[in-house]
Amino acid sequence: MARFFRRRKFCKFTAEGIERIDYKDLATLKGYITETGKIVPSRITGTRSNYQRQLSLAVKRARFLALLPYTDQH
Amino acid sequence: MRHYEIVFLVHPDQSEQVPAMIERYRGIITASGGAIHRLEDWGRRQLAFPIAKVHKAHYVLMNVECDKPTLDELTGSFRFSDAVIRNIVIAMPAAVTEASPMNRPEEEGAPRGDDNPVADRGDRGDRDDGMAD
Repeated sequence: MARFFRRRKFCKFTAEGIERIDYKDLATLKGYITETGKIVPSRITGTRSNYQRQLSLAVKRARFLALLPYTDQH
Repeated sequence: MRHYEIVFLVHPDQSEQVPAMIERYRGIITASGGAIHRLEDWGRRQLAFPIAKVHKAHYVLMNVECDKPTLDELTGSFRFSDAVIRNIVIAMPAAVTEASPMNRPEEEGAPRGDDNPVADRGDRGDRDDGMAD
């Protein structure tokens, strides 16, 4: 039986104790969108649900201001 | 009076007017006893996608404290200004004065991004089959 070692997921925002996720912090947000511009689900990133909700709002604000793409087909 | 965070995008051809616009908005806000707590000019930035057939825009961020009629006047002037191609107003719980991540690029960018959670994600699915760990 193949037993893969899977790296334990952790919530980066909880670990760093971030209070609010900022939509202007593109370096952080870019870590949570795919190449096609989708928001990566928390079941993959391990982000806590409270932070995932903040994250999704932040990404959507950044998209509205054309700081992040909605898709890769613009 | 409430705190708001305002970002607006100016058409690149009207980029020279930005200082004049900022002064005008400052006048509107201070005339009614409000205050600007943070003002940042991000300059001309590449847009992630074209808006109104332009690919670049001049970004301005303002954290203001003002009352509702003043805010209505501001948003009204955004709406009727041809230079402003997009704007967003966000209610904030308190005044923000420290520099935003946009205004301090590349100085402490190194610690970020090396532990990217997307890069080392496993295969899909979170069903705990006892294999993890």
